[in-house]
Amino acid sequence: MSTHRTPNRDVAVIATSQTPSYRHFDGPEPVMIMRCVNDLLAETGLERKDLEFTIAGSCDYLSGLPFAFVSNIDGVGAWPPVYESHVEMDGAWALFEAWLRLQLGDIDVALVIGSGKSSPGRPREVFPLQTDPYVMAPLGLDPVSLAGIQARGLIEAGKGSERAFAEVVSRSRRDALANPNAQVAVDRSVDSLLAEPYFSSPLRLHDLPPISDGAAALILAAGDRARELTSHPVWIRGMDHRIESHHPGLRDLTTSVSTAAAAAGAGVQDGPVDVAELSVTYSHEELILRAALGLGDDVSVNPSGGPLAGHPIMATGLVRVIEVADRIMAGGAGRGVAHASSGPVLQQNLVCVLEGAA
Amino acid sequence: MPDLDIEFTLEYPYTRTTGPVLGPFLTGLRDGRILGVRCGSRVLCPPLEYDPDTFATLDPDFVEVGPGGVVTGWTWVSSPTTKHPFDHPFAFALIRLDGADTPIAHAVDAGSPDAVSTGMRVVARYRGERVGAITDVYFVPEASAGPAQVIEPGTEPVRLTTHLIGLQISEPLQPARKRFALGLLDGKIIGQRSPATGKVYVPSRGYDHMARVEMTEADDVEIPALGAVSSFTVITPVRYYGQMETEPYIRASILLDGADSPIYGVDVRDTPVEAFRVGLRVRAVWRPVGERDVTGFDNRQGGNWEQVIERWEPTGEPDVDPARLQEYVF
Repeated sequence: MSTHRTPNRDVAVIATSQTPSYRHFDGPEPVMIMRCVNDLLAETGLERKDLEFTIAGSCDYLSGLPFAFVSNIDGVGAWPPVYESHVEMDGAWALFEAWLRLQLGDIDVALVIGSGKSSPGRPREVFPLQTDPYVMAPLGLDPVSLAGIQARGLIEAGKGSERAFAEVVSRSRRDALANPNAQVAVDRSVDSLLAEPYFSSPLRLHDLPPISDGAAALILAAGDRARELTSHPVWIRGMDHRIESHHPGLRDLTTSVSTAAAAAGAGVQDGPVDVAELSVTYSHEELILRAALGLGDDVSVNPSGGPLAGHPIMATGLVRVIEVADRIMAGGAGRGVAHASSGPVLQQNLVCVLEGAA
Repeated sequence: MPDLDIEFTLEYPYTRTTGPVLGPFLTGLRDGRILGVRCGSRVLCPPLEYDPDTFATLDPDFVEVGPGGVVTGWTWVSSPTTKHPFDHPFAFALIRLDGADTPIAHAVDAGSPDAVSTGMRVVARYRGERVGAITDVYFVPEASAGPAQVIEPGTEPVRLTTHLIGLQISEPLQPARKRFALGLLDGKIIGQRSPATGKVYVPSRGYDHMARVEMTEADDVEIPALGAVSSFTVITPVRYYGQMETEPYIRASILLDGADSPIYGVDVRDTPVEAFRVGLRVRAVWRPVGERDVTGFDNRQGGNWEQVIERWEPTGEPDVDPARLQEYVF
């Protein structure tokens, strides 16, 4: 059932940029952001002062640098001052805030950034800190282990199999061979993947994403300003995000009701879906997300390779939006769905519907 | 060439109040009992202060659950992290304790994945030393559980819980930062001149943040270890976790000659506070070559200057007009 309401103001992605996913980027995080911002300004002809609102998503815990989000502004340029905001979340949530901000109608152009350097730290030890601080975090209960529990639940519910997970990995990393920004791109047969040992059973190491550094950014513009700045605006037709309990024991881990609710709010089923880029951080999640989004087997999912090919945490979700927007801009797709996720076992989910010229 | 990789542990000590539901729950764990809370016709464990469906506040009505229970989901952790309850492989599982309707996520010390399955029975085991934390307990397969434990209860309710988090960080010094650090070992202060604006930054971040231009080794310049105090503060230490200082000391910013950004966080111990002032001309007195240590410099902007420069001594030159230093405070 669609609960979608048309936004007051048409807002479009008018330009996108992303760095490759690096296993280790030998430089500061602001440099990765700077490369994206400089790309976007060159592509649109806009100047720094034309970016009326800037917002970034990043996480200081990742690189262990308190106030890293402040130095990240170096990559944008702190002068002249503009409306500036930050979310300690994936850049897809920064996109959500920017989209809402443009609905107010007083400004027309916004810059959205997502960036992260996971390489200096140990993500499996960082991310338990976002779980319940009394009954989960002290156990070091990490997203990889919770993903293993979810994957086994899927198998035992008859909704998945180790072979189905390996098929996601094989296809994603093969598709990534055509993605110049991919970190892990390889042609591996399903049988050879299934011969590998378990890491967090029933998941194998290849069912997990790589550890990545990277950044992504895009420019949003509203209405006529968007049409003036590009001949190929990609319109945001709907966007919604929902969250579930942080106690995994209170959820049915074999489904994603928050993704389904966000999809209804964003209007996924109101038209055809030519392409979908989903935050499939662990291979089995693709099965859950396809079902929650109502995507048939005919829908191309993660033609970029998805997060299994590169996972710059805090940019991963925004990269999904960019991959869909790029395909629409290039004319290869008319309407697409981007999905971002936050928290262990798909706790919080964002869905964005994008469409080319209407 | 010295090893300039950075290794540090970022620690935050958290102390939290436990509240009306988790307080009794954690007190129970210390005393060898597991408590759930009634929520309508259900019993929730771990207990919540609210009904997870309606979010209405629950009037806490505790029920002892366990110590046995059923595994409803699990994974085998073949490669534990340093934060896990065991340093050997184990299972993380969802466990529905006897008398509870919702499962709790916890660790099962089972020896082998072959010993774990959905539907198997497990039983709680308590650590010898218990502090009122979720880590006071773990689970083992009921089939291989030893004799029942005798747990000596504590006296006071658990009202506070502490959690020291520590994040292990390791990374190489970034290229511009590394050349800067190597320069210090050699008695040189290396900055970078922006090809866009001509401004000289020291230490350089590897880019001009005003012009958004990256810089390379070709932009490196040597700066004299001589300049003027552009700002300072007197710090009176207060006690907090990790504080090593006991006496007041000065932290200063110094604008080196020819630079457009001050070095800051410079530790000053030997110039009396009364004699210290903005505009004072100072020069570096380097530590002997073998005693210079750059391990206090990481990829942040500051660093432990005192580990390479023993002190900054007044040159005796006339002061710089403080008005000329106003743009170089920090």
